[in-house]
Amino acid sequence: MIGAAALRRSSPGRFIAPAVGFAAIAGAFALGEVLVQIGVIDRYIVPPPSEVIASFYRIVAEERVFTRFLYTAGECLIAGVLLTLFGIAGGVLMHRFKLLQQAIETWVAALAAAPLVLMYPLFLVIFGRSMWTMVIMGFVSGLPPVILKTIEGIAATREVLINVGRSFKLSASQQFWKILFPAALPTIFVGVRLGLIFALINIVGTEFLINFGGLGHLIADLAERYDLAGTYAAICFVILVSILFFIALEKAERWLRPAD
Amino acid sequence: MAKTGRLRQTAAPRIGQVTLLRLAVILGVLAVWEFLAHSGWLYRDVVPSLLSIARALAGLLGSSEFYFNLGVTAAEIAAALAIGGLSGLVVGILLGANRFLSRAFEIYLYYLGPTPKIIFFPVLIMWFGVGPESKVALGTLSCFFPVALSVAAGMRQIDKVLIRVGASFRASALQMVLKIYLPAMRHPIINGFRLGFGFALIGALLAETKLSNKGVGFLIINAYSTFDMPRMYAMLIVLFVLAIGANALIGRLGALDRIKRL
Amino acid sequence: MTGSPTKAGDAILTVDDIVVRYDTPEGPITAVDNVSFKVRPGEFLSVIGPSGCGKSTLFNVIGGLLSHHAGIVSVAGETISGPHQSIGMVFQEESTFPWRTVIDNVAFPLELVGMKRGKRAERARHFIKLVGLEGFENRYPGELSGGMRQRVSLARTLASEPKILLMDEPFAALDEQTRLLLGDKVLQIQQQLKQTTLLITHNITEAVQMSDRILVMTYRPGKTKRIVDIDLPRPRTSEIVTSDAFGHYVAQIWSDLREEASRGMKDEEAHVLHHDVPAS
Repeated sequence: MIGAAALRRSSPGRFIAPAVGFAAIAGAFALGEVLVQIGVIDRYIVPPPSEVIASFYRIVAEERVFTRFLYTAGECLIAGVLLTLFGIAGGVLMHRFKLLQQAIETWVAALAAAPLVLMYPLFLVIFGRSMWTMVIMGFVSGLPPVILKTIEGIAATREVLINVGRSFKLSASQQFWKILFPAALPTIFVGVRLGLIFALINIVGTEFLINFGGLGHLIADLAERYDLAGTYAAICFVILVSILFFIALEKAERWLRPAD
Repeated sequence: MAKTGRLRQTAAPRIGQVTLLRLAVILGVLAVWEFLAHSGWLYRDVVPSLLSIARALAGLLGSSEFYFNLGVTAAEIAAALAIGGLSGLVVGILLGANRFLSRAFEIYLYYLGPTPKIIFFPVLIMWFGVGPESKVALGTLSCFFPVALSVAAGMRQIDKVLIRVGASFRASALQMVLKIYLPAMRHPIINGFRLGFGFALIGALLAETKLSNKGVGFLIINAYSTFDMPRMYAMLIVLFVLAIGANALIGRLGALDRIKRL
Repeated sequence: MTGSPTKAGDAILTVDDIVVRYDTPEGPITAVDNVSFKVRPGEFLSVIGPSGCGKSTLFNVIGGLLSHHAGIVSVAGETISGPHQSIGMVFQEESTFPWRTVIDNVAFPLELVGMKRGKRAERARHFIKLVGLEGFENRYPGELSGGMRQRVSLARTLASEPKILLMDEPFAALDEQTRLLLGDKVLQIQQQLKQTTLLITHNITEAVQMSDRILVMTYRPGKTKRIVDIDLPRPRTSEIVTSDAFGHYVAQIWSDLREEASRGMKDEEAHVLHHDVPAS
């Protein structure tokens, strides 16, 4: 039977749904604008969307948003690289040494559940009011998912693929790099994505708490200044940055594994 | 099992070895901690001695003030899970069941999901005030996305034949949801809630730490500002244990059935 | 040896001029082209054809899961649209609910209509016994073999006591020996309940073993190529496969099918070559 997927791929009607979705959201904002302007919603609590958009430029120019973005992005990048490298290494080690895995895997899973962000005073004292506090915060909180997903991914390699390797008499190292690791990559990516989400939350959260750093600091500042429209604008900006960040991550994933 | 390559051990480690290793790790960590505490490298009491932490813990467990604030935070999280989790469930089912809705709206959820929700905190304070309500709101926001996304994905992964079975027996929409969709999705639902719980907890605690008048986060920042570090660490220990326990409990709910995967 | 279409007025299931067309990027295709037949009460009718002949489409149309069609399906004179309570479906794939025990699986249709718990359990047990799974009521499908799971699916459908049992290659995923034995079981049940049964299959042995009549379909667009009366004695068991008459029927149907099957193969190969898209 001809697949329905073939049916869908070709029709221009496939833009209708996203367009409707976008229109609905834009419509909701328009409705919000009206409600605020006529006073149904208090404009001292929720500024009209038009005002928020108008203050975008001011926020970007005056608040050095771009610099702050680079700051936070830099922290995320370093934390991200660290948690990817150490996370995958940790996962591989734990797969290789079953004793280690049996001993501490549940602890790593438990760590993923604990709100590690509350340890920030300790890191603050050790690393001072510098970006390293945030980097380590992000690294520590994003590490467990990467380790766990790496273990899961390697362990889930289909037996038949391993047997193919053995039938070609691959050495243990070849077996790992040519079969186990590539097969585990999609799962590992899921772990890295999750780790980055945790890292971002903790980094921005810590910046917010200690009033230092990039975008989290910006939000905290604006809140204290009661710059209403500015706060909303900054929030929009942070959302935008986060979206771009994860789109970039996806592009990287697709580049590394074009078959998926 | 036949002898395999170096990558697989031929014998599973014995329970005794595992326990020994665990003990070694715990003792090692405690030893390093105690060493740092007495070394004087760090400003005093940033790493307090284990004894002082133990004493603070004992005091804490007897303090009604602590239990009250713990209760406040627990209630905030429970409310956030209920509101955020339930709405996430409903939205997830709708998005997963209807392809049009999914292609129209799911992408917004997908990219808003990883955004740290703490950035909404100033707005939530404005809307709900300084009390627990703003923390519930933040927790709800944090919890909604992982549940909705996990459920939406889970809906699409339900074995299609099970849906046809329901249709062939003319099950009503409600019967389909209660008797087929939800049980078929128990694993994605549980995982979504675990993640949601974690995010809600972080969000609520961050919010309490930043600005509040009640709750564990409030107590922690109080202890920190008076530099009562042993008490702060004691609270962290209790909090971590509870968080880990709650997470494990949610996970257990998923394993309640003895179901082996087909 | 063309079989009798049926004595008019006797039929419990009437399939009348069913046409199913799809739109594809390569143009419209006709999956089922004017298929008509009637099924008598208590009869076992098999529909056999090569892959791509539209028999699964036909299954979904009769079962009411597919509504984009021309033509009418009626049960005892009543036109049906959508799944009907007098038609019970057994699907090809694993369809037991993994989170329910065997007895809860079988009781599912009874639960849907609001039957009381005690009566449900009693009824479910009856059908579990009928398919030979007595003692397994509280097991989960994950603990059973593939063949046992299909029996659970069968019991579940039988529990809703349909006038017509509609099965789409229910044994396709099983090995040959299990298939033969399960075929025995289904035959036994069908003969005991005098259950009107419509079986969709690609397996000639299975069709001849179990049916009173066989409808052979052509490759796409699926039309009726021939209806064959199977004049083997009843009651039958799997031992029938060793008889001469049996081999004769199989050979005859194979010669019909072979032509259609090879047309199908050539078509699929051409499709892949020219479109870079999997044909199914």
